[in-house]
Amino acid sequence: MSDSAELARTIEALLFLSSDPLTGEQLAEATQSDEQAVGDALALLHERYAPGRSGIRLRELAGGWTFASDPAAEDAARRLFSSMRISALTPAQAETLAIVAYLQPISRPEIGRIRGVSADSAAATLLERGLIEQAGHSQFGAVLYRTSTQFLKLFGLRAPQELPDLAQWDPSPDEQAELRQRLLRAGEARARSGAAPA
Amino acid sequence: MSIATLELDLDVFTGPFDLLLTLVLREEVDLLELQLADVVLAYLDHLHGRGELELESATEFIVLLAALLELKSGLMLASEDEQPLEIEPEQAAEELMARLLDARRFRAAAGHLGELLAREHGVRFRAAPLPAALRRTIVRPADGSEDPRVLGEAIGRLLAPPPAINLLHVAVPRVPVAARLEHLRRLLRGGVFSFDEAVRGADRMTVAVTLFALLELYKRGEADWEQSRNFGEIAVHPPAPSQPAAAVAGAGGLAG
Repeated sequence: MSDSAELARTIEALLFLSSDPLTGEQLAEATQSDEQAVGDALALLHERYAPGRSGIRLRELAGGWTFASDPAAEDAARRLFSSMRISALTPAQAETLAIVAYLQPISRPEIGRIRGVSADSAAATLLERGLIEQAGHSQFGAVLYRTSTQFLKLFGLRAPQELPDLAQWDPSPDEQAELRQRLLRAGEARARSGAAPA
Repeated sequence: MSIATLELDLDVFTGPFDLLLTLVLREEVDLLELQLADVVLAYLDHLHGRGELELESATEFIVLLAALLELKSGLMLASEDEQPLEIEPEQAAEELMARLLDARRFRAAAGHLGELLAREHGVRFRAAPLPAALRRTIVRPADGSEDPRVLGEAIGRLLAPPPAINLLHVAVPRVPVAARLEHLRRLLRGGVFSFDEAVRGADRMTVAVTLFALLELYKRGEADWEQSRNFGEIAVHPPAPSQPAAAVAGAGGLAG
């Protein structure tokens, strides 16, 4: 027990020093202990930093463990630091971010194809804010993008795979059938009007 | 005699061959209306008048005619492209549907991201990076890249002059008409054969010269052919004994 408590204190110090989430593996290597012991120590820390007990919370984010501030301190933090944690995303930025988050790695032209409009400006802003980052090049030479660690931290996610299944936002079969019928009618009307002058 | 001065009397043009080329290139004569088979026939008449096959001018003629054919086929394909896309309403609706669903999913996903961001409102992280001096590098060098021998080989490959480029393959291919005539005569001795068979595996130039040789055989009454439809298979056979030179209309389907 005292071993675990000592390991917890060491890990606490490491988490305090690091601005990036630390994985169980990194913590085990640094403390020269096995991951099981690290897991026990983290559970202990989790309890110590449970909501309402401290101004700091222990969070499992972006594939590792990190300290975050308690949201209750946000008003005071804003008075102290004067800046927003992150300004709201425009709809275009949010859509672009969603496409990158689900389909990464993905190129700008591909994002534009899905959205139906160019994603260049939105992607540039997301890149500047550090929410997405470059991830190599496609076979055609286009820059590919993926979400960053910063994205996972700010959106409270352990990994992009934690995002819900896209299919959950699909319309019901009835709605889909109705939509298909409407499109078909519009297509036929257009084909008729298009064929008339020819 | 140069092929340029070959006199032509066609539906859309009367005058020397070089003037026709100029007018085609200036688009003053519509290549699509020009029956290139008629040009070939005019040249064959010209050859007939001279009574001998001049290889230099024949080759020149084939090259020019091949260029015209290429240009014409390009024009024919381009006009097909300009036609509106034939998409069935069902297919168009399905494609549009797929795009709409995609757009809808990602709009909803964007909304979900907004909710996540709102849920995390007020959560801040340490933003100060660890001083560089305290950081331990976590980027390991790529396997073997620090080996001087590997580096030396890599730079050595860059310094070596590239092998001289062999230009032999760009030499103008020369396909003698005589050889193709001989080839066709050999096939004719075996009876009926298809033109495709005669040029199987051959390059474009050989195909063009073989066609030219076939026209020559036809003119001399050594061969005849059947083609049931345009661009269909051409069945070549020795001429029927009683039949004199057949109507030349068949050539239109061959070359046009």
